[in-house]
Amino acid sequence: MPDMTLKPKTPLNGYSETFGATVLEEIAGMGLVSIATPRGGVDALQGAVQSAYGCALPPTGSSTIGNDGAIRLMGLQPGQVFALFAYDGDTAVTEIEKALGDNGYYTDQSDSWAMLHLSGSAAIDALARICPLDLDASVFPDGTVARTVMEHMGVIVLREGTDGFLLMAARSSAANFLHAVEQSVRNVT
Amino acid sequence: MIINHPLLGPRDAAEFYYLGDASLLDRPDWQAPDAADKFYEYQYLRDNAAGEHRELWYHEQGDRSWLIVTRDTLTHDITKVELAHDVALAKQADPANTGREG
Repeated sequence: MPDMTLKPKTPLNGYSETFGATVLEEIAGMGLVSIATPRGGVDALQGAVQSAYGCALPPTGSSTIGNDGAIRLMGLQPGQVFALFAYDGDTAVTEIEKALGDNGYYTDQSDSWAMLHLSGSAAIDALARICPLDLDASVFPDGTVARTVMEHMGVIVLREGTDGFLLMAARSSAANFLHAVEQSVRNVT
Repeated sequence: MIINHPLLGPRDAAEFYYLGDASLLDRPDWQAPDAADKFYEYQYLRDNAAGEHRELWYHEQGDRSWLIVTRDTLTHDITKVELAHDVALAKQADPANTGREG
């Protein structure tokens, strides 16, 4: 056996770029777990989430943050939430299982999504050119989450603060997605 | 075209996949004596309405819900958007309720 170690690569290779007051950077080191509600089990799951994280199960289109601020739950569709938390290991599901027991069906999504964070003054203008959603703070306030399409790629958009957005797209087309967002930022800065 | 999703608000039609007439929800009973005729009608016969039309749309690039959209085929004016899930459950509770008004 040759003596060598393989080093993992993140989907976008640690991309980080600044465009004036606007920053586009890859987010890595996150655990992402899909939690599906068993049929008729929404109350049990709600109770488990409440006692484990001290927050509610978010309705579709919104997100909630656990008491200690370490986990965010995003309501993506009826009967499904995604849990997002800082995690460097490779068994993110066990973290959720420890907290919620068998009150939900879990699948690990951590390595399937490329995550980009876009923030700064030009963020909204850049997204307005590729995102069909109205992202104005009056209808898409802090913590709002949505699934949509940008440049024909499925994207999860989460608003963080006044001009910050977390964008998640399929890892398989991560480079194309980065190109679309980066080009749009360049076009408005 | 914008579809006003009952849970998510206005969404671009590009996020949706169109299936067809909402009568596809009313699958015939396969054990009925006239099942062959009913399935022939279910599978092949469609109304080609010039006016109000109830149709199934799938929010594929969104929350993955099936919607019943009531659309005027002459003007593309959308008058009603419901979750197919809700309509099907209401029909299960009351088989006489087809979801159609009037």
